[in-house]
Amino acid sequence: MSGLLLAVWLLPFAGALAIWALGPQLRRGAGWIGSATVLLAFVLTLVQWGAATASGGAHRALVTWIPGFTLGLLLDPLSLLWSLIITGVGGLILVYSIGYMWSDRAIARFFAYMNFFVFAMLTLVLSDNLVGLLVGWGLVGLASYFLIGFWFDRPSAVEAARKAFVINVVGDVGIMFAVFALYKATGSITFAGIFSQRDALSGGLLFMICGALFVGCAAKSAQVPLQTWLPDAMEGPTPVSALIHAATMVTAGVYLIARFAPLWNASPPARELVGVVGAVTALLGAILGIAQWDIKRILAYSTMSQIGYMIMGVGIGAYQAGVLHFFTHAFFKAGLFLTAGLLIHELHDEQDVRKMGGLSRRMPFAFYAMLAGTLAIIGFPGFSGYFSKDAVVYAMLEHGQPALYAVGALTAAITAYYMFRMLFLTFFGPYRGELEDAELGILPDRRAHRDEHMPPVHPAELTRPAVPVHGHAPAWLMNLPVAILALFAVIAGYVAIGGATSPWWRFFGGLFGAAPAVAASTVAFSESLSTLLVSALVAIGIIVAFVRYGSPAAQLASVERIRAESLGRPAIFAHAFYFDDAIDALVVRPARSVGTFIARFVDPHVLDGGVRDVAWGAGALGVIFRALQTGLVRSYALTILVGTACFIAYFALIGSAR
Amino acid sequence: MIFALIIAPIVAGVLLVLVPRSAEAFAKWFGVALATIVFIIVALEPHASDESLRWLSRPFVANFHVGLGGIGYWIVLLLALSTACALAVTRVPRQRDFVAQMLVLLGAMTGLFVARDLLLFALFWDLMLIPVFLTLIAWSPTRSTATAWRYLVYNLVGGLALLLATAAYGVVQGTTDVLAANPSMLAPISPAWAFWIFLGFAFAFLIKTPVWPLHTWMPLTYADLPAPMVAVVSAVQSKAGLYGFIVVTSVLLPGPMHGAAPAMFVLGLIALVYGALAALVQDDAKRVVAYSSLSHLGLIVLAIFSFNPIALGGAVVYIVAHGLFSAGLFIVLGEVERREDTRLLSRLGGLGARNPKLAGGLTILALATLGLPGLCGFAGEILILTGVYRAGFVWPAVVALIPIIIAAAYMLRVLQGLMNGPEVADVPQRRDMTPLEMLALAPLVIAIVLLGVNPGPVAASSRALTSAATALANVQTQSQSGIAYCKQALLDQRRNAMERAQRYLASLPRDVNGRPIVPTAQPATIGSVQEPSCLRYPDVMAAAVKATAK
Repeated sequence: MSGLLLAVWLLPFAGALAIWALGPQLRRGAGWIGSATVLLAFVLTLVQWGAATASGGAHRALVTWIPGFTLGLLLDPLSLLWSLIITGVGGLILVYSIGYMWSDRAIARFFAYMNFFVFAMLTLVLSDNLVGLLVGWGLVGLASYFLIGFWFDRPSAVEAARKAFVINVVGDVGIMFAVFALYKATGSITFAGIFSQRDALSGGLLFMICGALFVGCAAKSAQVPLQTWLPDAMEGPTPVSALIHAATMVTAGVYLIARFAPLWNASPPARELVGVVGAVTALLGAILGIAQWDIKRILAYSTMSQIGYMIMGVGIGAYQAGVLHFFTHAFFKAGLFLTAGLLIHELHDEQDVRKMGGLSRRMPFAFYAMLAGTLAIIGFPGFSGYFSKDAVVYAMLEHGQPALYAVGALTAAITAYYMFRMLFLTFFGPYRGELEDAELGILPDRRAHRDEHMPPVHPAELTRPAVPVHGHAPAWLMNLPVAILALFAVIAGYVAIGGATSPWWRFFGGLFGAAPAVAASTVAFSESLSTLLVSALVAIGIIVAFVRYGSPAAQLASVERIRAESLGRPAIFAHAFYFDDAIDALVVRPARSVGTFIARFVDPHVLDGGVRDVAWGAGALGVIFRALQTGLVRSYALTILVGTACFIAYFALIGSAR
Repeated sequence: MIFALIIAPIVAGVLLVLVPRSAEAFAKWFGVALATIVFIIVALEPHASDESLRWLSRPFVANFHVGLGGIGYWIVLLLALSTACALAVTRVPRQRDFVAQMLVLLGAMTGLFVARDLLLFALFWDLMLIPVFLTLIAWSPTRSTATAWRYLVYNLVGGLALLLATAAYGVVQGTTDVLAANPSMLAPISPAWAFWIFLGFAFAFLIKTPVWPLHTWMPLTYADLPAPMVAVVSAVQSKAGLYGFIVVTSVLLPGPMHGAAPAMFVLGLIALVYGALAALVQDDAKRVVAYSSLSHLGLIVLAIFSFNPIALGGAVVYIVAHGLFSAGLFIVLGEVERREDTRLLSRLGGLGARNPKLAGGLTILALATLGLPGLCGFAGEILILTGVYRAGFVWPAVVALIPIIIAAAYMLRVLQGLMNGPEVADVPQRRDMTPLEMLALAPLVIAIVLLGVNPGPVAASSRALTSAATALANVQTQSQSGIAYCKQALLDQRRNAMERAQRYLASLPRDVNGRPIVPTAQPATIGSVQEPSCLRYPDVMAAAVKATAK
């Protein structure tokens, strides 16, 4: 069985290597190789379902760095779930990408990166130890960097890629700290080894370790205050946003916390911290989602907000609920992004919802897919998000956090509002694509880079006949994955019907242990009442969105409203609560100033100058001594006389005193 | 065989003068072939036995004692590999002479890392300065000799300190052929001597590495040296000091080594942060890498002075790793400079579009440098910091994490500044890397990946040392600082002398009063009893005689 595990892990890598080695000759064939290897890995993962859910899971040792640093692979229910989503949803997104990147000259490079990402993500979730996980953690960050900066002649993409990478290194460093601390305390880096020694961890040390791990989560999963890279990451091609920045990579933080559930169970302050940060992120993302015009940025903020829910769930100790939200989110958010990709594709790289409108007649399939995704994400009863989000929100009450419950419920309402706002703006009302920017209040600088969208060209790619800008990918290539994802966005939640006796709960067994919850009698109200409450809030959100953007009257006045909103957008939204500016002012600029001070002043003048002074001093001494060497015997005699006198004086005065 | 590894490149370098000046390609490929042969021979003989020739017998014993093995094995491999790769992409004026310098450098540095005798070590230490100095004089782009003299004076001052310390050690110990010896067989050095000898060694090692604040010769030297030589100098020569700390001072002078640890920790940490911050704002790409070296080598200083076996294993991994990626980086930057006639980040950009292979190579090297998990830099960093933390240095380990973040910022600045963004218009557009140039870079890249995936064998090479160091560390735990350790060692020595004196006296014939008859002359051996060192302590002897009489 362990050979199969190795195959799952390495197949996408082999695909990446093959695409990279064969290079641009492959063109669209690269897409087929990439998709095939990932889908095959999906099938091989499914084959191992039995082994993974058996006690202990499937395991394979790989290498030993030094005694105690042993690296291996582990497939247990948690990694099985993540692997299935990575390869399954990933495979669908790759098939879609063949169509999306149909006429891009760098299609081979794209698929090499995508396959490399799948490999890296599998490394992350299949590792049986923290160092292997950290390797995967770094490599997914790298893949993300490559794909955000895929169109690397765009300065904005290059900037966004660098920002994402550097912020992710902050997270890597947090996990590195956890590695040292855990290794020192438990003498092991494997999960099994750490958990078997977890009694060695307690109090402040445990909180520090959990905190360090959470720094990693916050960076990777875009939690406050390390969230600023995620909206900018939308510079990458849309399938990248769907796979990396929605379905898989950004949920790595959720995985990490679920994986370290035994530590979280033992540390109440860590649970509190992570729960609060998750809630703040959920709320903040939702608020910022209201004020966006770029369809991908709306979805990016919604991703941030939904991951806030997941982190809240797993952080507080409701692992099954938090992971369930990851599961359903993977489908509906990937579906939403891919549908957005359909729109962007159809409208020739237009991403601004102000320039859309009325597309439900032109693209009915996209409309229904988007509708399914929207209803799922807002937690509309019967759709998948309903089951997972309700479970997460209610878990706040069960774990004695009514304040977090309130934030979660409020965020659900805001989510409903901004998602329906997006839906109405894109699919209803008049088509605004032909209007002038000024009429819609679109400021020119924001869109400057879009006009020169031309992917960089490999010289070998130039020699081939030019491909038409928008080729003729068969429609099913892009529609089929969207349809499958939309279907799962509707039904995926039903695995969890029945609460603790559902297949979902039983799937994980005792993997997470139990986080202490408050007694059932002290919970303010029952789950069904909570569901009613949240649903009512969601309904309010939808109604407000309908009144403002969806009603016939609002549709007629949409251009005026959009212009007014664009021009009147408060600066605090335009700056996304000034997180970027704060990081720039507090970290980036001081570091650069100190660096400049060192490079311009300390190094050349103080240190080098100091050494020069020593050299000068030696030279000066030489001058003095040279002056003494006059060659005159009488001056030497005088020196000897003075010296002797000094000696005598010394011994007479001090020497005798001893 | 090991002697041949030292002598052959030096002789070949000198003899290259005999071939015609115009035989540039011949000189280059001859150099590549020779370095490759050195690499293969070393790679095939990890367990080559030591070789030794008599050298001095007075005032102390010194031998031409060389050996391959342990840490030196990996560094010599790195040296041969980086020299071969660097020579393969060499294209400089007066190429024949340049190749000759490279070969002399190869021989001298091989000698340094296989030397098992301190005096031999000191000899090669100074010898390896000469080719770099001459190259700086003759191939400096600025036509100024200031950098060359700065390099030479700095390093000769260090070399002088090293030589004095070696001589002092030889006089005190009676021999300098000690690097392969079992440390427990060596006579302990008195604390006063140990302090001064250590100071001499440490001064030389700190300059050579370099460690803040003695580094100011380094950015200038690195910027001025032609790319192939700076690749080798940064990859290997900068490791000489760290190697010295590991195999010379921590084995021979453990007391002062521990005493110096707090100061060295401070210097190492300052170097780490200082170098990273300085690298963040450099405009010259080569100087970014130079300052990043300052930062990374500071990390190795931390590892060495934490006296933790894991950290030491990590230090060896990082020594090799830094060699691999800095050699690669300087080679690639040399390629960039040759294509674009500048290294200034502010003037370059968008090269990746027309030079994807060059961009790919730089990407992997930059990622290894910034410590991407999965590549060799990370393997070294995590082992070092795990060890440092485990040794109880929590805050240094935490502070050392910050430069990792800064490293990501400055390496991406170089990578993206050169390769990404819109193409800069006034930059001449040239061809991508040739297959040959790729072939030169490939071994480095492969080694970076392999070492990143499994640093085990390299980390294990420090194990022999580690066991010695652990034994010493056990002694250390009894004392608070190095100076206290020295006092303790002295007391132990006297106590041992006392015991031995009593045993010795017991073996002697007695006079009528029951007092042992101590021979007035002190023969080397009396019967089967070894001449006891206790005779060196007359007071101990007298006390022992008195005690025996009772």
